[in-house]
Amino acid sequence: MVQISRHLEEEITVCLMNHFCGSVIGEFCRIAVEFLKKGLNPKIFEGAARKLSVSTETVQHGIEGLMYLLTESSKMMISEVDFQDSVLVLGFPEDLNKLLLQLYLDNRKEIRSILNELAPDFPHYHNLEWRLDVQLASRALRQQIKPLLTLKLHLEQNGRRNANVLQTDPATLLHLIRKLEQALGEMKTNHCRRIVRNIK
Amino acid sequence: MELPEYTLKGLQLLADPSHFSNKTFHILVEAAFESLINPQTDGAVFGHAELGNLDLTLLKQCHVAIATCVLEAGKQNADISTISTLLEDCRFGGERIDIFCAAYQKYKDKVETLLGSLGRFPSHIIDASWRLEYHIRNNHLHKINQAAYLLTLNVENGESRPAQDVTFSCTMEQLQDLLGKLKDAAKSMEKASQI
Repeated sequence: MVQISRHLEEEITVCLMNHFCGSVIGEFCRIAVEFLKKGLNPKIFEGAARKLSVSTETVQHGIEGLMYLLTESSKMMISEVDFQDSVLVLGFPEDLNKLLLQLYLDNRKEIRSILNELAPDFPHYHNLEWRLDVQLASRALRQQIKPLLTLKLHLEQNGRRNANVLQTDPATLLHLIRKLEQALGEMKTNHCRRIVRNIK
Repeated sequence: MELPEYTLKGLQLLADPSHFSNKTFHILVEAAFESLINPQTDGAVFGHAELGNLDLTLLKQCHVAIATCVLEAGKQNADISTISTLLEDCRFGGERIDIFCAAYQKYKDKVETLLGSLGRFPSHIIDASWRLEYHIRNNHLHKINQAAYLLTLNVENGESRPAQDVTFSCTMEQLQDLLGKLKDAAKSMEKASQI
């Protein structure tokens, strides 16, 4: 169950129930999702407040309350039943509860991916380009035949990409392949399978 | 094979039996090769018992001459006859030429390895380590339940720059992609080696 604080509960109930009819609340829901995806826009509060002849704060609290409800539910990935139970506390009419549930189910995947962007980000793998070279000479030594693999490893962090130019020799390449195959194989062991199965 | 004036003078001094006996010559040649191959022994030639009573300036010039000659020969992959001709021109006797060329043959591979390791190159991967994790939750998101790998590629940079290992995370699919590409590279390397 989403623990909605008493204060927030009052805010949402007061704002939404006493002031507005179903279609307005529906509009608030749409605005709340829009804000979650694109960011807050305070002018909307003022515009809506004027149209509905209420204070800006009332509109703001109502929409922010809805945003909190959606965010917390998505964060905890609560089930349909739990969501319905949480919303029941607010004492809304049945069709509004259905609307909120649908809103939650439709948008939770996207809200979760937005929340994921807040988490600490390590540089992660994006792509690998490679090139086979043979070194023929250098300033210090002429007449060489030295096979080399030149790699460009593309990594991404916080939306920014950078590329590392690396090289390796044939023996190390085979060693790397063996090591990484070991790493990949680890996921298929009984130990890992058991963990994955049991942590839900 | 062209050598600078200072080096040629050094070699001529080295050839002179009044400065070095055959035995001293042999020791000096060996010591010069050692100091090239093993940087830690550099300078040991000057502390050597047999060479202790020789003039320091002379010793230094001859040591430099041998080292320069060896490095130049290694760089050009010079054959024994080229070296012999050069030494003859510097008035080396037959026995000294033989001693020098024998030592060169003995140390040739190591000199080539040394020269091959000089120079600039992109960070060279020498090893990789990995860590498999299972992400359960963080303070923004619960029930993540996803496996992730953390890979570190250990690199070396030659002596010029400190090694900076590359660390990055990836999912299982991304690791499969990376591994697939490395295997392609290995296959093409194998094909190329058969040409």
